[in-house]
Amino acid sequence: MIRDPVLLEIVWNRLIAMVEEQARVLINAAFSPIVSEMQDLAVGVFDRRGHMLAQSISTGTPGHTISMATGVRHFLDRYPAETLAPGDTLLSNDPWKIAGQLNDMTVVTPVFHGGELLALLASTCHSIDVGGRGYSADSREVFEEGLTIPVQKLIRGGEPNEELFELIAANVRAPREVLGDLRAQIAANEVSAVRLAAIMDELGLSRLDDVSSSIRGRSDGAMRAAIRDIPDGTYRHAMRLDGFDEPIDIVAAVTVESDRVHVDFSGSSPQSRRGINVVLNYTFAYTAYGLICAICPAVPVNAGTFEALSVFAPEGSILNARFPAPVAGRHLVGHFLPTAVLGALAAVIPDRVMAESSALGAASIYGRNDAGDAFLATFFSYGGYGARPDKDGLATTGFPSNLANTPVELLETATPLVIRTKELIPDSGGRGQFRGGAGQRITVETRSAAPCQVSCFFERIRHPAQGLRGGAAGRPGRLVLRRADGSHDDLHPKGQFEFRAGDLLTVELAGGAGFGPPDRRDPSAIAEDLAEGIVTA
Amino acid sequence: MLTVGIDIGGTFTDLVCIDDETGSIEFGKVLTTPADPSSAALQGIETMLARLGRPARDIRNLLHATTLVTNAIIERRGAVTGLITTRGFRDVLEIRRENRYDMYDIGLEMPPALAPRRLRAEVAERLLADGTVAVPLDVTDAERAVATLADAGVEALAVCFLHAYRRGDHEQTIRALIERVAPGLSVSLSSEVVPEIREYERTSTTVANAYVQPLVKRYLRQFRATLAERGHAGGFFVMLSSGGAAAVDTAERFPIQLIESGPAAGALAGSFYSDTLGLPDLITFDMGGTTAKTCLIHQGRPRTTTDLEVARLYRFKKGSGLPIRVPSVELIEIGAGGGSIARVDRLGLLKVGPESASADPGPACYGRGGSDPTVTDADLVLGYLDPEYFLGGAMPLDRHAAERALRTRIAEPLGLSLEEAASGVHAIVNENMTNAARLYLVDRGETASGYTMVCFGGAGPVHAYDVARKLGAPRLVYPAGAGVASAFGLLVAPFSFEVVRTDIARLDRLDVRRLQAMYAEMESETQKFLENAGVAGGDIAFLRSCDMRYVGQSHEIRVPLPPMDDGTGLTAVLRTAFDAAYVRLYHRANPGAAVETLNWRLIATGPRPTVRLKPAVSSGSAFKGVRQAWRGEAGGMRPVPVFDRYRLRPGERFAGPAIVEERESTAIIGPAEIAVDDHLNLIVTLEAGS
Repeated sequence: MIRDPVLLEIVWNRLIAMVEEQARVLINAAFSPIVSEMQDLAVGVFDRRGHMLAQSISTGTPGHTISMATGVRHFLDRYPAETLAPGDTLLSNDPWKIAGQLNDMTVVTPVFHGGELLALLASTCHSIDVGGRGYSADSREVFEEGLTIPVQKLIRGGEPNEELFELIAANVRAPREVLGDLRAQIAANEVSAVRLAAIMDELGLSRLDDVSSSIRGRSDGAMRAAIRDIPDGTYRHAMRLDGFDEPIDIVAAVTVESDRVHVDFSGSSPQSRRGINVVLNYTFAYTAYGLICAICPAVPVNAGTFEALSVFAPEGSILNARFPAPVAGRHLVGHFLPTAVLGALAAVIPDRVMAESSALGAASIYGRNDAGDAFLATFFSYGGYGARPDKDGLATTGFPSNLANTPVELLETATPLVIRTKELIPDSGGRGQFRGGAGQRITVETRSAAPCQVSCFFERIRHPAQGLRGGAAGRPGRLVLRRADGSHDDLHPKGQFEFRAGDLLTVELAGGAGFGPPDRRDPSAIAEDLAEGIVTA
Repeated sequence: MLTVGIDIGGTFTDLVCIDDETGSIEFGKVLTTPADPSSAALQGIETMLARLGRPARDIRNLLHATTLVTNAIIERRGAVTGLITTRGFRDVLEIRRENRYDMYDIGLEMPPALAPRRLRAEVAERLLADGTVAVPLDVTDAERAVATLADAGVEALAVCFLHAYRRGDHEQTIRALIERVAPGLSVSLSSEVVPEIREYERTSTTVANAYVQPLVKRYLRQFRATLAERGHAGGFFVMLSSGGAAAVDTAERFPIQLIESGPAAGALAGSFYSDTLGLPDLITFDMGGTTAKTCLIHQGRPRTTTDLEVARLYRFKKGSGLPIRVPSVELIEIGAGGGSIARVDRLGLLKVGPESASADPGPACYGRGGSDPTVTDADLVLGYLDPEYFLGGAMPLDRHAAERALRTRIAEPLGLSLEEAASGVHAIVNENMTNAARLYLVDRGETASGYTMVCFGGAGPVHAYDVARKLGAPRLVYPAGAGVASAFGLLVAPFSFEVVRTDIARLDRLDVRRLQAMYAEMESETQKFLENAGVAGGDIAFLRSCDMRYVGQSHEIRVPLPPMDDGTGLTAVLRTAFDAAYVRLYHRANPGAAVETLNWRLIATGPRPTVRLKPAVSSGSAFKGVRQAWRGEAGGMRPVPVFDRYRLRPGERFAGPAIVEERESTAIIGPAEIAVDDHLNLIVTLEAGS
């Protein structure tokens, strides 16, 4: 253990600064807007046993970050230290080991110091394509969802494993972006490795073992101290989601006992026949994320932060799906786990939770422009953020995932799509003493002669965000396709459809829910909402 | 004749006046008058002129840096501002980029838009990404929108249409219409303010321009009129964020370009020192009461960027402010200053900043009721500051109050001695600054080993030695007159203006002829700005660059461009330059991948003024005595010799550890060779690689 608080603060800060820099390199060097604009990524540094020491928090999305934190050890199981050499880099997208869907590529680079394994640098990025039927929640088995890459050496002793690169390139619709992003992940790890070596030299360290146990020990201690402040007991919350065809129930029992928290999801729905299933590692990630937000948000997150937390979900349930269940749309369920946890904790720490938020909406669009070039674009957008105990929810802001949108001007430059409107929806935020954030309406058309294939990933169409402590629900979302002949259909929010020139697609993202009874709202806030036209009556 | 530089900061207004013929120099420092910043400046000028016995008409040029624009946005004191957008895009400002800047803080907030929703109107028109018109501008609809906003009381209007970076004709039609329907309204067009792709950032910048325009116009006109009343008939120029000086007309049209006016002056001080020291590559380290700023000077010029953020809600946290895309000197600013508060966090670790005790109540040792231990308190306990000689003795410090704060809040909870606690605070604030500076260097593919550090600002010289060593800078300079360094920068600012055009094209399909025509147009545009400022056409230098990336990437690298006159081989030259820049940043190039061009830039610059200084030395021995001060390398309090800065002579050499005191600051120098150069700068040679 490192007892000198000044030295520990210095090393710890250096590691955090190092991974922030690693994230920046990754974003700057990436080839697909999913990474470079939307920042669907996670970056971290691990000790030689696979314990996460630091992660990037200014960018990235918690599902990736925490699932990577608990998933990197699988890389060491497959390639123990003695089988790794300087210049190696590993790759895997195994959903059950890491981030719960094939699109998430995790790249791990071992770093050596004085001939010994010192640390691992890792990132997880959402790849724009992994083959199969395309990014879609509409599969029956994971095999349909694309190529699985067990833990493999992507680079051996500094030499790229060209066979693996070729194999991936041959299986995906957008090899330039897919391989370009992998190269960006490799570059980011390499830049960070150089940095880490310099830090070790400058601070006169030869190993990170003491640093690791000190960092993890302090975070674990802080987490446990914060848990002890919460009264013991079991707090329950249930919520209902749209699901694929039938509704899905999430049932959470959060037990606080002394300095530990256990979350039991028994009673939640069984696994689905379509791709909205969640693997246990991802269930843990978003459950832990919700707990950290409520209990101890200011402590830097690392492997120590999770030691006091445990999660159970019955095998075969939607939150612990068995191989080979389809999982591409796992976030359509997994993203609600923080909400379930916060809902339960509202009974005991109402001042540290928030009302329910909307959900991430995603559409993956694949087609050809009029020059005959293929394009593949996934775009993400958000509805409203739930109201907080002391303030309104934010308009169009992500929770719990944290992606940026793609600027309309960039999207229209890269694809034949034209966005006709992208605007807030008045009256969509749930009322309350504090109002939910507004959702948005996006209308899209395509100018390409050839039809495009669109996969949808939308939630909160039938089941809107629920308020807390008397706050009202937000407005639900909607997905409508108006055909050139004037007919229009409500689309399956998790299905695939053909999108043709002359069609107009309208996506409405749900509003966030309110917090506290509406009659307690400050009259000046009501007047301001009316003046702004964000509330109309 | 005289050249006067005025830097109006948040607390102090600094003045520098140089006699163009003799090179003799005069300083001034007066308290800023926030209600009307020009009043303190005018008073300072008068005092200085009186001291010199010169009339206002002797001022040939007056250059001026101001925090007016930044403060107006932070304090929300700008105009009632409206926005006109393409139909369907009224909410771009509020939808933002949809992400959060902190993953775990569910209570976070976003800055409110400068143009509220009720003052945002939509107009039927639509351009496509390739610049073709999908929907022509509906003039009747536009007239209605303008009239509605004018009736609602807007004072300034921003216009931002989708893809207007491609062509500005729709936006220009709106301006013509406003001049007809609502004359007198101040108008900002996105195609003029910042013709760059990405609608949120462009709208945010254009609206911010509109928001500050009436205020800046009023201020500049009044300032000039008052000066003219007093007989000033010379030039009056304003420092732009880019580090160029501009005529008032430019500042009035594009006031958002003043957003980093003050810091730009500081960065240009780096340019000034680069000249006087004969060192082309410098890192400036400017540490004041609440923040520390660092800027890279490369080949005598500060680096520039277009990626800024203003009015961050969570101090210094990227993403919590309003994005502003204007050319600006590139600097990093972190919450580390003399007033930064030290505390023990819930992990039992020592943290310093970014919260600051600021001027009121200030550090505990100011004796104004502050009880939080700060960096200045630690510096006092460590013997780095003389409680009797702070600001030249004008403000005595309370050592007991500093000790009490550090003992109860830091030393006792951590089980450290008082001096250990103070040295911990000193080390951690240095570490925070070093980390930020290192991240900034590494981000640009640089290391400190090729750079000399120059330190200024009140606290800069107290902390620079440690920071320079941690960064690995081989040499450290404590310049003379560090207390008013930013004002120096104004005196060496060349007149310059930058324009940009977005034109996304694959490099292998580059239309060189079209490019030449575009640059010819950009050159005549920038030339007009400089000629307005009195620069002769023949003296203008043009610097071209292009933002490039691999097809599919969305983050670009800026690559310098050769002159346009001969387009042959341009494609190959650009490809080679791009790949080389890429390898430097990311280790591996992607030789098979196609490259595309994004933004084409042109900076037009006039000649840089040369300044010769003739500083004076007081007589008598510089040695003031010895005092106990903390020496990190010895791990304890040791006697350290103290010198009077004003009595050190050119050519003198001595060895550290040493404390060198001047009115506005104190240099704390560890073991190293110290030399006094001809300009009375202290040059400290650090061990290589330490």
